Amino acid sequence: MRQFIIKFLLLSFLAVFLMPQPIFAVSFFFNTQTNEWRVDDQFVAEFFLNTNGDDINAIEGKIIFPSDILEVKKINDGNSIINFWIEKPKSALKSQIAFSGIIPGGYNDSQGLIFSITFLAKKEGKGIIEFSGVKALRNDGEGTEAPLAISNFQFLIFNPPAGGLVPQIVIPKIEDRSPPEEFTPQIAADPAIFDGKWFLVFAAQDKGFGIDRYEVCEGNRKCIVAESPYLLQNQNLDREIVVKATDKSGNERIAILPPQKPRAWYKDYAIIAILIIMAVAYFIQKILWEKRRK
Amino acid sequence: MNIIFVVIVSLIIFITSWINAGSVDLQVIITGQCGDGVIQSDESCDGSNLNGKTCSTQGFSGGTLSCGSNCTFNTSACTSASSGGGGGGGGGGGGGSGYAPTIPSTSVIFSGRAYPKSAVTLLKDAQIAATAIAGVDANFQISISGLTGGNYIFSVYSEDNKGVRSSLLTFPVSVTFGATTNVSGIFIAPTIAVDKSEVKRGDNIAIFGQSIPKSEITIAVNSDEEFFGKTFVDANGAYLYNFDTVQLDTGQHFTKSKAALDGAISSFSKAIGFAVGTKNIAAELPKVAAKGDMNSDKRVNLVDFSVAAYWYKRSSPPATADLNGDGKVDLVDFSIMAFYWTG
Repeated sequence: MRQFIIKFLLLSFLAVFLMPQPIFAVSFFFNTQTNEWRVDDQFVAEFFLNTNGDDINAIEGKIIFPSDILEVKKINDGNSIINFWIEKPKSALKSQIAFSGIIPGGYNDSQGLIFSITFLAKKEGKGIIEFSGVKALRNDGEGTEAPLAISNFQFLIFNPPAGGLVPQIVIPKIEDRSPPEEFTPQIAADPAIFDGKWFLVFAAQDKGFGIDRYEVCEGNRKCIVAESPYLLQNQNLDREIVVKATDKSGNERIAILPPQKPRAWYKDYAIIAILIIMAVAYFIQKILWEKRRK
Repeated sequence: MNIIFVVIVSLIIFITSWINAGSVDLQVIITGQCGDGVIQSDESCDGSNLNGKTCSTQGFSGGTLSCGSNCTFNTSACTSASSGGGGGGGGGGGGGSGYAPTIPSTSVIFSGRAYPKSAVTLLKDAQIAATAIAGVDANFQISISGLTGGNYIFSVYSEDNKGVRSSLLTFPVSVTFGATTNVSGIFIAPTIAVDKSEVKRGDNIAIFGQSIPKSEITIAVNSDEEFFGKTFVDANGAYLYNFDTVQLDTGQHFTKSKAALDGAISSFSKAIGFAVGTKNIAAELPKVAAKGDMNSDKRVNLVDFSVAAYWYKRSSPPATADLNGDGKVDLVDFSIMAFYWTG
């Protein structure tokens, strides 16, 4: 009996003090309605951060999934706790999604949505969605790495038996009619990029499904799809700049920057056109007047 | 002659309008529609779909709640206890659906304490959304509206009368569309500065800054063991603590402070460094961000982030972008920048 008690205490000590303590570690996890789907089902996996009391301001990593079983249909980064993406989550390779971003000032909460992925179940089989190279850095001014507790996500894709009644997973229809949040683009120049030329920076937040694209229109030039930082074509900064942010539902938010410098009068086509018209009118009048005289 | 004048004016109007045709109108395009029975993020209800709400959830005692044509609640058929009294009345009748449609405003009101007459800056998702000046009692209130609703990360910081900024106080807030969210009790950490960047061992170093008048300040100085001291903030919001460095070893040290008033405690201020050595060297006020201000505009914001993002994983980044000096721009540099963020 005594030996049993000693063994029990020893094992308890080992369990408490020597085993990893994920309770106090920053954790990344997936949230789904279930972990079993039928072939051809689409399902949403939401990717969350729980800081467990730590203050985290930067994350990065990769999500690896079996591309023979799953296919990425959509990635939504709207309503995310990440304010600025260094690498926007995208399925660059067939079986992985890379991401990195920051939360200025830090984040300290238990259920911070990072982004969500809509998968299509292609064929039956068991699989794991796992994390690779994930880092969470503390908001301490030095970028110290926080200890992590990673839990990979196991799932099963099956073919329903013929004639059997299997409940169908239905993704709830969510419509997004809200445009991106108001945003303010900024013009800047820095010797570190674009040879010190003027460039434009912009970042709009979207609380729906995320930003799809930005378009920049400089004066009367053709609007072009752009990313921040964007090297301005008109380095004179004497024309209005329009930046249009479009979210993944097609809602738009437009921000306008007025000309930063006054435009030289001789570059104003309206004034030139008026002068030409006045000159033409003067000559017509003169010709008519001379005809009348004759 | 008159005909020529009319032709000229017409031509001018035509050409100038043609020239200006390239300008873009400010507009917000919205997809989906009210009346489809599905409650969108900017709708309170849609058709018969009341999102589980009743008159009582809208602050009435009874009656029938319905949905208006603009997808906001119609409470005209709701009754309240106070209006029901008094009998008589009758009247009322007629009236069809005469309610005044109101567009719900989504807003957040922030209130708390900073320093007397200090400038308080509010960041919404890391970009400056509003600023305010605190009163002589250090109380401030900032409200922002026009939000779409959802998860936001708000941050506040203040700048004292010497231009020293506090640390960033950040809090995630879930904002409901059409509602006003109150965030109160914000307690901004004190500002902190020291009078010497190097102090001769055994001499005093003055640790000072600003906080709420009459609050108690706890000063922490790190060493092999941590030293604590306490002082009070004067009526103008200033505090001063003279720390005797005889108890410190030579080398680099850090100090930080926090404030307490009426049971509320602020977070710690930024940590500020000083060296204990063989001579005294006066320190400058920490008015600029220690790191992350790549374009030297005394701010750490989207411009600096964009410059760093340009150099992300590129070879031979400039020293301004490589904040930890390890020869590359990676996540650590962005984390350092996020810590010193000002918006």
